[in-house]
Order: sequence, then structure tokens, then C-alpha cells
Amino acid sequence: MRLEPAPTGDVPAAPTAVPSASAVAEARRRRERDQWQGRRRLERQLHDGAALRASALVLQLGLFRHRVPEAEHELRAAIGTLQDELHAVLQELRDVAGQIYPPLLDEAGLGPALRELAERLDAPLRVRDDGRRFGPAAEGAVYFAVADALAADPVSPREVTIAGSAAELVVTVTGGGPGLAELLLDRARPLGGAVCDVSTPPDETVGTGTIVARIPCE
Amino acid sequence: MRVALAEDGALFREGLLMLLQAAGHEVVAVAAGGDELLALLAGTPCDVAVLDIRMPPEPDGGLVTAERIREKWPNMGLLFLSHYAESHYLMKILDIGTDAIGYRLKEKVGSVEVLTDTLTRIADGEIVIEPVLAKRLVERPRGEKKNEVASLSERELDVLKLMAEGRSNGGIAGQLYVTPKAVEKHIASIFAKLGLHTDETESHRRVLAVLTYLRSQRDGD
Repeated sequence: MRLEPAPTGDVPAAPTAVPSASAVAEARRRRERDQWQGRRRLERQLHDGAALRASALVLQLGLFRHRVPEAEHELRAAIGTLQDELHAVLQELRDVAGQIYPPLLDEAGLGPALRELAERLDAPLRVRDDGRRFGPAAEGAVYFAVADALAADPVSPREVTIAGSAAELVVTVTGGGPGLAELLLDRARPLGGAVCDVSTPPDETVGTGTIVARIPCE
Repeated sequence: MRVALAEDGALFREGLLMLLQAAGHEVVAVAAGGDELLALLAGTPCDVAVLDIRMPPEPDGGLVTAERIREKWPNMGLLFLSHYAESHYLMKILDIGTDAIGYRLKEKVGSVEVLTDTLTRIADGEIVIEPVLAKRLVERPRGEKKNEVASLSERELDVLKLMAEGRSNGGIAGQLYVTPKAVEKHIASIFAKLGLHTDETESHRRVLAVLTYLRSQRDGD
């Protein structure tokens, strides 16, 4: 008599070992939230580490330059050039930090961060908010979706309204291009969020009207 | 000049302390946070307090500390240093005060000359704003202000940028190698084109008028 090896694939495991669909989704959301927390930590690490060291180096060079006799024009000028180089290094660090997690988003929230972004890009974006905070994940998701929309779309969003409660961030974006809903969904879905197009029939020339994204907060 | 200093990054704090001393300033208090600085300043006369924006008490201890300093010692100048130059913080800073106040990037005060110039202007009651930020404000005015700013001549734009940095007439004249009289003429023309009142004789009031103008749409949001 031959013993068949017990089939492993089809046998249902003990009920406790199979996570329910909602538990899987919740675990995914948690990972996504952790990832946003991680981005925020990275930005702080850059700020407190490399950036601070480089800034301190500028001061030390300034002290060094001050001690060089005034007659040594070339040496003094060379030290000034090194300081300018460090400023360029710091500028690049700021650019990188802004793409990881903008410090203003962490410190002041979505409204101020989006206004600052629009100003830097010279984009005619109007931002309405009441200063309420929604946690690093939901705020990060919306910030980067709008930033992508401003950078990529020929038709830029014209207005962003930030509202919601402690449990949910609700953002309404008007006047974006046809890709806007997808950009928002890409960032909102991993956090358990949803996006819907509530516009009147879209007009190709002015964008898709109004998109509403809802993202649960931790 | 008597200077107090609060910064939580030890490397930068030590560097700034040494540069301040090399520039001949008397550093009357050094602290790693705002609360500590306030305790040290009690009973210690000081002309300008140098504050890191992002320091304890978190998250933006520099702003909270500045408000307390203004309340207790209204004549003390305030210089904010930050790793970032953001208009969001500029507006917060101007809410705290519009005279004897400054906002500069940490790595931009790295020479004895610039550091002393910045501190002196603040001690004299002026506003000092990081040139990069002043330039951005002038080049990227909000919404409907674009047309008015676009109507300025290139020379007038140069003058407007220096005004937004907080420079006085004399300072602007020195930077552009023109006479103060010529600067006055440019300023009158700028104010006329922007529809601002020209009776703002004190330079820091005028800076405020210019900044408010460039930012006004945002404030109306």
C-alpha cells in the first residue's frame, strides 16, 4: 500500500492562520503609512545630519577666511568660492529633501506646503484649508499627487480645497487635466482611500472639472 | 554688539559662536533651545537674539521664543536662521514684528562681514530678508499682481528686489552704484505703478508695504 503525501496546497489551514481580506488590506495600509513616516524621518535625518554639517563648515571657512591676512586676496577669494560651493551642495540637499518629504508639510501641513509649492512653480493654484492636520501619510499622498499634477499635466489644477475630520481627509481639486484622477488614486488607494469624479461633463480645454479624494487618517 | 544665540545643532552653534566672537561681538547667552535662552536672558542686556526656527520647544521653537522675547524685551532685535527660506515662515515672522527683525539662511551668514552687516541692520531697526526669498517674491507675485509687476522697468525691478530684502535707500544706492536721489525717483515710480502709497517714509514700513503687496492674494485665501 502506497502512502500518498498529504496534499499541501488545497487543504484549508486552521481558520486563525488565514488573514481575512480586511486584515490583509489593513496590513497593506499600515505598511504604506510606515513608508510615509519613513520618508519624514529621512528628511529630518538630512536636515539634522548632512545639512547641518555643511552649514557649520561654511561658518568654519568664514572664520578661517577672517584669519587670513587681508593682503592674501587670492586665498580669501578661494575660501569664498568654497563657501559658494557648499551653498550649492545645500541647495541640492534641499531639493532632495523636498522630494522625500517637504519639511513645511511636516511642520505646517498640507495648505501651507501646497501654497509654497505653487509659488515656487509659479502656478496659479488657489489653496483653501482651515489648518487642520491629517497625519503624515494622508498629507504626503495628497501633496505628492498635486505636485505630480502640477509638474506633468498641461492643464494644471486651479484650486485645491482641503477639508475633512480626524478620521478622513477630503480633498477637492478643480480644473486639473485628464490624468489628475489617476494621480490622486495612485496615492490614495494604498492608504484605503477612494477617488471620484464629480464634475459636470468634462471640457477638454479647461480640464476635467472636479475630483474628490477621500483618504482615511491613522 | 551684544548677541544671544539659540540653536539645537551643536556643530552649527559652536561655529556661529566663534564667528560672532571673531567679528568682535559680545555673546551674552548661548543655548540649545528657546526656553533655556529665555532663562539666560533674564537680567542680561542684549541687542540681538539669533534664533534657529526649528529647535525646541518643537516644532518651531524659534517663533515661540521670539514672541516671548518681543513681549518681555520689545527693543531686542531678532534674527531667525533656518535651513530653508520659505515665504510661509517669512509671513509668520512679520506677524511677530515688522522692525528690528531678520530671516536668513544658515549658510548665508558665514562671513564676518555679512554677519555683522545683518546684525547691524537689525539692531538699527530694519527688516532683513534672505535675498533668495526676496527675489522669489518679486519674480513670482501672486495672481493679478503679475501685470503690475511686469510693467516695471528692469532697473525698477532691481530696486524692488533690494527693497524686498529690506535695504534702505542708502543701501540700495550702494548696491546699484547710483545716488540716493536716483533711488528715491525709482521708488516713487514703483509705488505709483503698483498703486501703493508713497507716504511710507520709514524704510521698514515701506518694505512691509511691498511684501504685503506681493503676497496679498495669498493672505486673502
